[in-house]
Amino acid sequence: MQYILDLLLKQIFGQPFLLMAIIVFIGYIAMKQKFSKALIGAVKASIGILVMGMGSSALIANFGHLLTAIQTATGIQGAGLNTYPTMTASYEKMDAVLGAGTGNTWGIYTLLVAFIMNLALVALRKWTRIRAVYLTGNAMIVQCGISTYIVWRFLGLGMVPTVLIASLVTALYWGIFSTLLIKPTKAITNADFTVAHQQMVVSFVAYKVAPKIGNPEKDDIERKKMPESLNFLQDNIIATALVMFVSVAVIFLVVGGAQIDWLRSGEALNQGGLTNTVVFLIWTSITLTANIYVLLAGVRMFVGELMMSFKGISEKLLPGAVAGVDCAAIFAFAPKSVVLGLLFGALGQCIGLVGLLVFKSPIFLVPGFIPLFFDNATIAIFANKFGGWKAAALLCTVNGIIQILGSALAVQLMDLTWWQGSADYATLWVGIIGIFKGIGAMLGIPIAG
Amino acid sequence: MLNILCVCGNGMGTSTILKISVKNICEEHHINASVESCSFGEAMSYLTNTDIVLTSPEWAGMLPPSQAVIAETKNLIDTPAVTETLLKAVKENFPNEIG
Repeated sequence: MQYILDLLLKQIFGQPFLLMAIIVFIGYIAMKQKFSKALIGAVKASIGILVMGMGSSALIANFGHLLTAIQTATGIQGAGLNTYPTMTASYEKMDAVLGAGTGNTWGIYTLLVAFIMNLALVALRKWTRIRAVYLTGNAMIVQCGISTYIVWRFLGLGMVPTVLIASLVTALYWGIFSTLLIKPTKAITNADFTVAHQQMVVSFVAYKVAPKIGNPEKDDIERKKMPESLNFLQDNIIATALVMFVSVAVIFLVVGGAQIDWLRSGEALNQGGLTNTVVFLIWTSITLTANIYVLLAGVRMFVGELMMSFKGISEKLLPGAVAGVDCAAIFAFAPKSVVLGLLFGALGQCIGLVGLLVFKSPIFLVPGFIPLFFDNATIAIFANKFGGWKAAALLCTVNGIIQILGSALAVQLMDLTWWQGSADYATLWVGIIGIFKGIGAMLGIPIAG
Repeated sequence: MLNILCVCGNGMGTSTILKISVKNICEEHHINASVESCSFGEAMSYLTNTDIVLTSPEWAGMLPPSQAVIAETKNLIDTPAVTETLLKAVKENFPNEIG
């Protein structure tokens, strides 16, 4: 009996690579797909989970050495801004206390329960007024992982209550804010879907505030000319490599020769042969980009399978619901706003980083492409549509600053070496973390992880 | 068999939704196809063994020349529009593949 329980709870339903496979398999069967198709989907999902883990552990380890060098040289704690490693870093924290694989397992249960709660909120739309089902699988997994860690860290509960509380908070966030964006998204695309991502709160604020700042008729950037040479910035891999190169170069300049030598050594990145610092700098930034790339490839392998099920289930159970999808779905409707948002968001983030240094913040952040690009592009589209390019430029600059300052606060509260960095995770979610921390402190619960 | 590649910026959200619709469309219209999705940055390296690339105009304009047919539509999650674009591309370039 003990053996069967251990097999079921720990080795099957407690192992993320099998759990994800089972969910995908059931999803396919429920959609009346062939057995062979369901099996192929399940195996792919399972490989995806493990590939994600490989990319993520290499990334967290390699990046960790850079953070150690910064800490040794300056005493400042560093953290990177990127969505996916924040989830896996949260899981590592949980695994260290609860045992390997536990964090991800709890996170997957939160994902399932939060999705069901989202469907329930839409089914009860007469009372809840929530009409959108959040289907952006790649954002869902990250957000559920982070919510699970927040609840576990501050409330110290077991699996079931942690999953339930984390799911409720996440499902309300998804439902409320993707519903609020239905109307402005329709104005931009003339199609029936909504944006379900991680800058929904700030996009909604942009939609409301932009008309007060500028004139959308006179200053619509989509009707103006812009140099096409800026488009290469949207290539995610090149842009990630570029952001990494600049960040690592700055880190090298800050930490100095002794620490760079330590980074080369067997204790850290183990590249003693690369005695030329420029070559070593290039190797480091390309390696970190490659780690991120592997992580993304793994996520893509299982998210594709997962979204297939979620989309099918939602269309079957709730035919009238509005599908909430990735913010990039609206990019084709406003390609110039996308580039504008990236440029001014980057300006804002630079101001924010200088601010951290000037005000001697105990935390330094390394910006990431995902929160920088996708958030500011989306906010720029909403701002330009309802207030013209001047509103978009101003709002994205402010958002860039807030992304940095809010994330610095979040890093301090969460004690992670990575943070999500998106607009909502530098504003609303910092508040949510604060609330959970307050409740935990009030009840005298020691902070875990 | 046709190799169809769905491309968006990060290769995560939109192209995944697109892949799901394209798979359904192909099944419905009896097109024998292998459908994959990826980011624009990766698309370059897959072009040589791709028959049809489905993407939005912003990316289509930036793809290097290749023998792959580029089919573009603005709203990648609008299934009727995607169906029309895809079927047109298949009929014009690969008439034997449609059942």
